[in-house]
Amino acid sequence: MKNTVIIAAIAATLGLSTAASAADLVFTSWGGTTQDVQKSAWADPFTAESGITVVQDGPTDYGKIKAMVEAAGVTWDVVDVEGDYAVQAGKAGLLEKLDFSVIDKSKLDPRFVTDYSVGSFYYSFVIGCNKDAVSACPKTWADLFDTAKFPGKRTFYKWSAPGVIEAALLADGVAADKLYPLDLDRAFKKLDTIKADIIWWTGGAQSQQLLASAEAPFGSFWNGRLTALAETGVTVETSWDQNITAADALVVPKGTKNKEAAMKFIAHATSAGAQANMASLTGYAPINLDSSSNMDEKLRMSLPDMQSKSQINADMGYWAANRDAIGERWYAWQAK
Amino acid sequence: MTLLTEPDNRTAAPRARSVRSRNFALTVPALVLLVVFFILPVVSLLLRSVMEPEPGLDNYRALLGSTTYLKIFLNTFSVSALVTIVTLAIGFPVAWALAIMPSRWASIVFAVLLLSMWTNLLTRTYAWMVLLQRTGVINKTLMGLGLISEPLPLVNNLVGVTIGMTYIMLPFIILPLYGVIRKIDPAILQAAALCGATRRQALTRILIPLAAPGMVSGALMVFVMSLGYFVTPALLGGTANMMLAELIAQFVQSLVNWGMGGAAALVLLIVTLTLYAVQLRLFGTARMEGR
Repeated sequence: MKNTVIIAAIAATLGLSTAASAADLVFTSWGGTTQDVQKSAWADPFTAESGITVVQDGPTDYGKIKAMVEAAGVTWDVVDVEGDYAVQAGKAGLLEKLDFSVIDKSKLDPRFVTDYSVGSFYYSFVIGCNKDAVSACPKTWADLFDTAKFPGKRTFYKWSAPGVIEAALLADGVAADKLYPLDLDRAFKKLDTIKADIIWWTGGAQSQQLLASAEAPFGSFWNGRLTALAETGVTVETSWDQNITAADALVVPKGTKNKEAAMKFIAHATSAGAQANMASLTGYAPINLDSSSNMDEKLRMSLPDMQSKSQINADMGYWAANRDAIGERWYAWQAK
Repeated sequence: MTLLTEPDNRTAAPRARSVRSRNFALTVPALVLLVVFFILPVVSLLLRSVMEPEPGLDNYRALLGSTTYLKIFLNTFSVSALVTIVTLAIGFPVAWALAIMPSRWASIVFAVLLLSMWTNLLTRTYAWMVLLQRTGVINKTLMGLGLISEPLPLVNNLVGVTIGMTYIMLPFIILPLYGVIRKIDPAILQAAALCGATRRQALTRILIPLAAPGMVSGALMVFVMSLGYFVTPALLGGTANMMLAELIAQFVQSLVNWGMGGAAALVLLIVTLTLYAVQLRLFGTARMEGR
């Protein structure tokens, strides 16, 4: 595996990609069911309409983006990234400015629009529970952090990203409007109390597997993964209490040869219709404000943007500014 | 005599040199490929460790001055050592059995070994995850039999990493050991028995010493490969069992801190090369047949 890491580093350094020739547009996302839907809801109709072939690549890798831009060999034209990374990378000069004469931003949720990025879809971290496996389900973040009342393993997102630290602070009694700037000492102290009972999930599919097998009968999940799991027959209970939203963003790495096509693709992907299709198929919320009229009412009610009552917006600006420092501390704490 | 041999020497020497240089010429394409696609990128990554974010040894100071990172180093070595010992303990009897088995049976065992080697690593690791987890087949069976009342913690910890990595490393120790043991003349063991050696003595004083070169070279290989292992510890271990390769991946991909990534990679590289040098020194290239 050492070799694989080195090969990855080499490929990254040289900006090599096996995926596409220059004429096609390369769209990179995180793989799995979400990218499947991004292909069917965005890319395929886009190709039918514009004649531009869209090649799917992945998974998103920030190391590769940096390597491609530095080596002036950008082979990813549009990339789905985390919202806080988009803000940070924009400032670091790794991204092209978006062309808002092509992309109509007046219809896009302004929470997720910057000069360098627009929202891709948005999701919530919610509390999920396998109802068949336990006698009672945790309803709040405080419940999820209470190992006396809810004994057993619980699962959380492994990577340093908005979500878990916020959940720990909310569980510890921090008021929702006093979350930022994050009190990291307090958050890690709270996380210490359940560390031995945490199983980390590294990707959506793993989170579903952990919940379905009751390896971890409850935890914090992307809401769309719970919707999908419920459809397979698992009795899933979702608590939206203080659900924490974060968004993915679409960005264009600096120096792409297909800038014009990239802008067109983003314009299409964020259009009301494409966003509605994406939301219908994933359970994530659309970032186009006009999408709701295109959607089935029942489905519409299950999306995060209908759960705004106690919703908490993760502060992408704060995260972008502190991403590295939090990340270093996060991984050191995990390894301890 | 002198007169006769002199011309021979004169002609023989240039010929040997030209053969050598022709042979060297044949390796040039491979060397160029290696230099361009392997050496240069690796060197450039390593250079970043002393250049980013600013020139100096700050990255190394941060890496070696932090108890967290030192714990990861220590963990990498202890996991690798544990895996090597367990692999050797399981691999030796298997290699021995293979060497004395009728060849038809041996080829079936080899097929099983090689097939498992050729199966995708991720698939095999995920399979272990499903087998070992608290609600997995092993725990369910043991609980169904009434042998345990609570599921055993077999995954997301050191046990899981050791099981998963041992399984993956076994062929790498069985194959060289098999090669060495096959070459041991069975008559020597018979002679030992005739001379009154017990089975135990035959094992400890004849078989193991004769197989030692294979054991050491296999063990070193397993140890070195384990040092750089990524997927299996990441999936079967908890975050408290993090190993060096995972730390490097984190620096390069998640934190995009290539300076620290390069520093960690250089430390791993130095350790690996040192061990390799030890191996060459102890056994030389000629003794590593069967690899």
